Amino acid sequence: MNCQDFFDGELDPLRCREIEQHLRDCPRCAALLSAQQSLRTALDRQALRFDAPAALHEKIRSSLRTRKTASPTRSFTLRFWLSWGIPAAAFLLLLSFVVGPRLAGSRQEQLVRELASCHVRSLMGNHLLDVPSTDQHTVRPWFNGKLDFAPQVKDLSAEGFPLIGGRLDYVDGRTTAALVYRHRNHVINLFVWPAAGGKGGSVEVRSLQGYHLLGWQDNDLQCWAVSDLNEAELREFVGLWQK
Amino acid sequence: MTNPTQICLNESPDKLSDTCLDEIEKSEAFERLVMPHLDSAHNLARWLSGNDQDAQDIVQDSYLRAYRFFAGFRGGDARSWLLTIVRHTCYTWLRKNRSAETTELDEDAPLSDDTAPDPQSILIQNATIEAVRSAIAQLPTEFREILILRELEDLSYKQIAEVAELPIGTVMSRLARARALLQQRLGGLAAKEERR
Repeated sequence: MNCQDFFDGELDPLRCREIEQHLRDCPRCAALLSAQQSLRTALDRQALRFDAPAALHEKIRSSLRTRKTASPTRSFTLRFWLSWGIPAAAFLLLLSFVVGPRLAGSRQEQLVRELASCHVRSLMGNHLLDVPSTDQHTVRPWFNGKLDFAPQVKDLSAEGFPLIGGRLDYVDGRTTAALVYRHRNHVINLFVWPAAGGKGGSVEVRSLQGYHLLGWQDNDLQCWAVSDLNEAELREFVGLWQK
Repeated sequence: MTNPTQICLNESPDKLSDTCLDEIEKSEAFERLVMPHLDSAHNLARWLSGNDQDAQDIVQDSYLRAYRFFAGFRGGDARSWLLTIVRHTCYTWLRKNRSAETTELDEDAPLSDDTAPDPQSILIQNATIEAVRSAIAQLPTEFREILILRELEDLSYKQIAEVAELPIGTVMSRLARARALLQQRLGGLAAKEERR
């Protein structure tokens, strides 16, 4: 193969000299090389080449020009946005209508779970009450300086729901007031914090792991009553509280 | 070749955007680096396709591809780069437009008369250009492309290896094989001529 390397000019000058030396001494290699040389002579480069016809030059230039006049970058971007951007935008808009309420719904679910957990936790340790008092005029002022709002504290002992105290809790990423009422042996946690939006009225009813949760908005305050009390009696409590 | 400045001016009459400037630069570089190798591109396409019209279509297609991929050209040997594209386009074209005419390549098939080139040398030298042309055309494509790149395009082993995407060793053995086959055919042909 060295002979071929040499013939094709692939060897460095030092190796070339070695081969030249060898060719002088080796008739077989010399013959091979001369055969290669005759072949190369027969392969008349100019006669065998198929150069591009002049028309092809012009054809290629014009086809490249057409491509560019169509301006690949710009028209591509435009076409891209027309063909994909508009449907994509429409799709996203549709998606926001479908998923938006669900996301809001799932946020509500999360809040309900959190409230139930708060309720359970308040009963677990020794932390149901920060301020044990049946007197609304003791409980309400206790929250002063601890919250950035003043929750209304109602005494419903006459109706069978005595106030037993209050505590600070943490719900939905903010400090909240938890008012604690009792009905027979059942504890009712009433969580109160400033509402995010201004919608009032209807009471939302949820149940989770045997607990009932009733949520409503009282002016600009969000209220959630959580208890293991049956739903009817909890509704009664909420009804009394809303009066 | 084209007039990208004009095109860009048509697009945004007040000022040239960056994309337009890029486009102008790209187009100038393409003109300078790639357009001069049109003959080589055509020669390879013509030898691989064996047909004038196909060769022109292949070359045109190759140039459009080359222009599209030109941003990916990182300097170096523009001719090898272009010929790689031409070769690819050729094989895609041949696969699509022709039934499988390629025969199984037997790189190690023995040659009938390997060792006696000497008496034929003179005869080969006198072979007509038509005879040479037809002998090359009859070579299996794998050998033909290497021979064309080496003998007609004068590429180095390394450049051929790049274009044909082969190891240098394979390039060398295929080249040796192509030459031997060619010598054999031309020698046989010339010998027949002589006997007449």
